Amino acid sequence: MQITRRQALAGTAAAGAAALGGRPAGAQAPLHVGFILIGPVGDFGWSTMHDQGRRRMLEVLGNRVTATQVESVAPPDFDRVATQLVRAGARLIFTTSFSYFAPTQRIAPQHPNVMWENATGTATGPNLAIYNARFYEGRYVQGVIAARKSRSKQIGYVASFPVPEVIHAINTVMRGAWSVDPQMRIRVVWVNAWFNPAREADAARALIDQGCDVICQHTDSPAPLQLAEQRGAFGFGQASDMTRFAPRAHLTSSINNWGDYYAERARLMLEGNWRPADTWGGLASGMFRLAPFTNMTPEEVSEASRIRDALAAGTLHPFDGPIFRQDGTQVIAAGQRLTDDQIRSMNYFYQGIDVAMP
Amino acid sequence: MTLLEAIILTVITASTPLLIAAIGELVVERAGVLNLGVEGMMIIGAAAGIATAITTGSSALGVAAAVLAGMLLALLFAALVLGLAANQVASGLALAILGLGLSGVIGAPFVGVQREGIGRIEVPLLADLPFLGPILFAQDPFVYASFLLVVGVWWFLARTRAGLVLRACGENHAAAHALGHPVLRIRLLAILFGGACAGLAGAYMSLVYTPFWTSGMTGGRGWIALAIVVFASWLPWRAAAGAYLFGGLTILQLHAQGAGVPIPSQFMSALPYLLTVVVLVLIMRARRGGAAGPACLGIPFVPDR
Repeated sequence: MQITRRQALAGTAAAGAAALGGRPAGAQAPLHVGFILIGPVGDFGWSTMHDQGRRRMLEVLGNRVTATQVESVAPPDFDRVATQLVRAGARLIFTTSFSYFAPTQRIAPQHPNVMWENATGTATGPNLAIYNARFYEGRYVQGVIAARKSRSKQIGYVASFPVPEVIHAINTVMRGAWSVDPQMRIRVVWVNAWFNPAREADAARALIDQGCDVICQHTDSPAPLQLAEQRGAFGFGQASDMTRFAPRAHLTSSINNWGDYYAERARLMLEGNWRPADTWGGLASGMFRLAPFTNMTPEEVSEASRIRDALAAGTLHPFDGPIFRQDGTQVIAAGQRLTDDQIRSMNYFYQGIDVAMP
Repeated sequence: MTLLEAIILTVITASTPLLIAAIGELVVERAGVLNLGVEGMMIIGAAAGIATAITTGSSALGVAAAVLAGMLLALLFAALVLGLAANQVASGLALAILGLGLSGVIGAPFVGVQREGIGRIEVPLLADLPFLGPILFAQDPFVYASFLLVVGVWWFLARTRAGLVLRACGENHAAAHALGHPVLRIRLLAILFGGACAGLAGAYMSLVYTPFWTSGMTGGRGWIALAIVVFASWLPWRAAAGAYLFGGLTILQLHAQGAGVPIPSQFMSALPYLLTVVVLVLIMRARRGGAAGPACLGIPFVPDR
């Protein structure tokens, strides 16, 4: 079942009445799973992939689960939508954005019988699990490819918000780029939105006008990639395979895959084995993968594949020391590695990135 | 192409949808009707435009459909505020919400469909001029349309009898009525013109700017168009200046970030609105507290015999 927020509000009364009617004792009623999405299902990116994850969950578990999905929920509306999902009988609710993390943390204790899962959150609770993918592994590969493809030696980065997820991605892109060519530079434009196609396109346009010829994007629409195509630059797809939007500019996309995780978590709920967990899956876990490399020479493809495989195998780690902040202070020394918590709370750019933190 | 040329070029394309929508709304407001539903008419135009363009394969038909869709929604608004003398603010807000919802329904089957945008048309000879050529004479058709709209609306309002009558309806509808002018019919035509412009601006978004469909793709530009009309103190030339200022600040903001200029992007994004407030204050001061807009703006008119 796929509904919009407005329909969800209208439907709640009916569903609430049904819940009051009581269910047969002992019978395994289907588990009702709720999904709250930050953007429209048709964003071709983040929200689309969560929607596909939900479909995959339904496919795997069949009639043992039902799902209600509410899309384009602005953070101020979160509490209302979440409460209504609970009243409608949802017992497992996925809140699929970092913007929902604090609200989820706040609302979870009020509904102890409902299990909550937040995507990209940073802390668990008694009935709150968090899950995310190690997208930075893909960013490292992007950096390597960008350094090979760029003539101007400048990468343009269309960034959403200055949160740790985006900041460590920018750092990792540059780490990958410097592994090929230490002269690589980056320009960053914050569009202060996850999804705003026209502004994303404007940002990409500004970056290309300033001499960037490979565009990385940390926003959800295909607009920056499409613009790179128009302007003869290169770009990467975000969240889903965006090859078709830019057949000549697309290099690779990071493809999110939440379905198996959702199915697994719902199965644990059905078996009564759900526990608050902190899942952070990398390339090896299948939570995301890279789309086939396009517009690259066979040598470039084999290099990128080699690096991708090394990241998946864990033989190459993007957060090995030494790591220096912009101002030159050392974060960790050679031989050490950042912990997951350090990566998740990263709020500084590396030395060599001459972009001010907003 | 130099960086300056590139920036100006981008500013013009970013400002064009704002300008087209603002010019339409300006005419509506000069006739004494406040239509807050620009965002709704714009996005319905965007949806109808790309849906038709994809279905028929013709961009021209897409543009026509967008204009028509904007006018249809405007007609609904006219039925409410002219036919039933309903509150214009409430009806306009309802129109904006209706447009956003309806556009999602129209656009749903076209999510993910890829389409080539409408290309540029170079004016022969003039396009080869240094500097001015690529900026003014090698643009997409919408940009030329926006230039013509500004000149046309200015000429209409300031130089024609019909324009004078339209302004009279906005300043004092009772007097215009007493003189025998069909106030409601004039306002209906103005509202339809506003709808057509908003639809055209929407077509620009979905057929040129970001040529694919996603719900909510106009991203609040309709509201900015409303602010521009106030900023322009209801004059077409100032509306053009306002649109380019609003568009320019958005683009410069992005360029400043890319170049590493340490100005908070949030401040730059807020600047156009801040300027609107300042301009309003200045207008009020200059007129010593007198009305800045058309005197009958937003007041329903019911002709009584």
